[in-house]
Amino acid sequence: MRRIIVVAVREYQAAVKTKAFIISILAMPVFMGGGIVVQTFMRDRVDTTDKKIAVLDQTGRLYDAVAEAARERNETGIFRGEGEARKKIRPRFLIEQAEVSSDDPARTVFELSERVRNDQIFAFVIIGPDVVKPGDDPTRARVAYHSNTPTYDDFKNWAAGVLNRHTQQLRFQAVDLEPEVVQEATQRVPVANLGLVSLDEEGRITEAEESNQIANMLVPMGLMMLMFMVVMVSASPLMQSVVEEKMQRIAEVLLGSVTPFQLMLGKLLGIVGVSLTMATIYLVGAFFAIHQAGYGQFFPTHLVWWFVLFQAMAVLLYGSIFAAIGASVSDMKEAQNLMTPVMLLVIAPMFVWLNVVKEPLATSSVVMSLFPPATPMLMILRQAVPPGVPLWQPLLGVGLVIVTTMVCVFAAGRIFRVGILMQGKGANIGEMMRWVLRG
Amino acid sequence: MNKSVSVVDIETITKTFGQQTAVDSLSLSVPEGSIYGFIGPNGSGKTTTLRMIMRIYHPDPGPGRIRVLGEESFDAANDRIGYLPEERGLYKKMRVREILRFYAELKGLRDFKPAVDGWLDRLDLMDAANKRVEALSKGMAQKVQFISAVLAQPELVILDEPFTGLDPVNTDVLREAVLDLRRRGATVIFSTHDMGVAEKMCDFIFMIFKGRKVLDGTLESIQETYGQDTVRVSVEGNGYDPHTIDGVEKVTDFGRFQELRITPETDTQDLLSALMRCGRVTHFELARPSLHDIFVRIAGPDTQETAEQTTPLEADDA
Repeated sequence: MRRIIVVAVREYQAAVKTKAFIISILAMPVFMGGGIVVQTFMRDRVDTTDKKIAVLDQTGRLYDAVAEAARERNETGIFRGEGEARKKIRPRFLIEQAEVSSDDPARTVFELSERVRNDQIFAFVIIGPDVVKPGDDPTRARVAYHSNTPTYDDFKNWAAGVLNRHTQQLRFQAVDLEPEVVQEATQRVPVANLGLVSLDEEGRITEAEESNQIANMLVPMGLMMLMFMVVMVSASPLMQSVVEEKMQRIAEVLLGSVTPFQLMLGKLLGIVGVSLTMATIYLVGAFFAIHQAGYGQFFPTHLVWWFVLFQAMAVLLYGSIFAAIGASVSDMKEAQNLMTPVMLLVIAPMFVWLNVVKEPLATSSVVMSLFPPATPMLMILRQAVPPGVPLWQPLLGVGLVIVTTMVCVFAAGRIFRVGILMQGKGANIGEMMRWVLRG
Repeated sequence: MNKSVSVVDIETITKTFGQQTAVDSLSLSVPEGSIYGFIGPNGSGKTTTLRMIMRIYHPDPGPGRIRVLGEESFDAANDRIGYLPEERGLYKKMRVREILRFYAELKGLRDFKPAVDGWLDRLDLMDAANKRVEALSKGMAQKVQFISAVLAQPELVILDEPFTGLDPVNTDVLREAVLDLRRRGATVIFSTHDMGVAEKMCDFIFMIFKGRKVLDGTLESIQETYGQDTVRVSVEGNGYDPHTIDGVEKVTDFGRFQELRITPETDTQDLLSALMRCGRVTHFELARPSLHDIFVRIAGPDTQETAEQTTPLEADDA
């Protein structure tokens, strides 16, 4: 036991003291936090130069409405803050009326296009003559917006709103409908997403709480992603470290002092320590961040111990496989090849998680979450979706994962023992299986 | 020194890898407190034998057995044994002191600081104590590895080619350290390609060739076995060609003198007369065969291989 602990402590220190570990620990919150900061910063950093738009209104009934709406927007809709702090954050839309310049409609469009190319105007809009009353042909209801910057859609979206509103009004007027009547008749019916009601201590029936759809999805997903990330960041370097010990001939020196099994077990415990360090940092960080943001009730406190347990087992399970791969190859390139099938196993839960979240109690979800390689991630995912799962399921899951982990550690130990001293050539899957069976 | 107790006792063990027999019904007994030298060409089974003594490899199932320090079943990780394998390396990112502390802890040595300081001082590594391994020269790294093997004062020290790659100064330092281990009561087994080192240091010499034991005993007993069939001569004269003389089996020319191996029935007096007929004899010496010569007799006549055996430093540095 002493030797296992000595190896584990060295492995832990070697992993935690590296710059890569500190960077990867910091990277996620920095990227996420940084992303939010950059987005917030960039939101108001748009180009606010005026945009001159020509409108050719062939109905003769919509131009005034567009011009009026633009004027109103330019006066009130493009600023933030009040008084001194008032700041222009959007460009003004300057609308000018265009005329038909030729008998040939195509010629008119060309001339307007030339004006865009010469930077006289930013874009132009052509409202066809039948837009208000297109009859049976929906294409005649179409308004054409031409520009040289197809990705800038602020004006297009704004104009679409204004044009639709006014066209609808004109159409209602044509059939003598009051807009208020129409609004009342077409009001949407909202459907609320509520939890179940129950009795409180005094026997009164509680009110159903409106469930937060976003939190219901985000919390399970967050837990699963966190576990995935921690497993990847802590378990896969184990392979590297075994390959290093092999390639730099450290392995046999170690084998003078520890048995291969002790060496592997020590290394595994070391990375379980690394993973728990990472998980603690992130969970504590997430706890404070969520509380700070006022969503404290969504933090899955009741699942923290399950998470830690499943995560430790996932790291042991995958770590033992990675260690076995590291021991049976002769360089990192060979290791990468053998990694691919294992990686598929690790990321498999990512392919099915959405279905599992939507129907956590469906038979398929139960079965998938009891498939040991996927259990840690899928079980915690299901547990995090209200109302949770029956207790026997995570317990059975833990049992199955323990058995699988033990088999993996045992098999990996045998592969490790033979492979660690092999130099020059890597083993194929067949040879590895033979080592496992013969010992 | 009590030579009646065997620290390592091997009886007819065999080890095969696939079709290849690496060690073939080998028996060996290493007395307590001795220095036992393993010699043999590359790939003859030295490292495999050492690994079996360490229990890193298990011998093939059969009647054979290995007893080490009186125990028949134990782990490779025996705190009473120090092991320096042929293939050795250190964690590049760790500092020398950290590494030595790590190995001391693995061996269960609690109060390791005096031992570490003592060894660092002795092998002239004090200045490197806080350096990372990647900053060490090859020789320094090798000395650190040697310390890691002997730090915990093991009763049995197994060193697989400990002197390979060292300059003469460091070879002397390490050799002195090995002799000191024996003075403290440890038993030392080491393998080497340097016949000079083996002749000078070893109480017993063991040679393995193609998996089989071919020599085992003291240098004197081995030389006795190979008899007084070697004569060193130096002859001045144009008509001198030792190959033409009756009874001469083999001639090794060292420049200033030639070493002649004669057939058992040849009388050295007859040889001297024959030489005198060829020219003026300036040197005539009845010599015992050197270990080098015995090695080459057994593992030769492949001269290519012989060259490799005699220049281990160059071969390893290349």
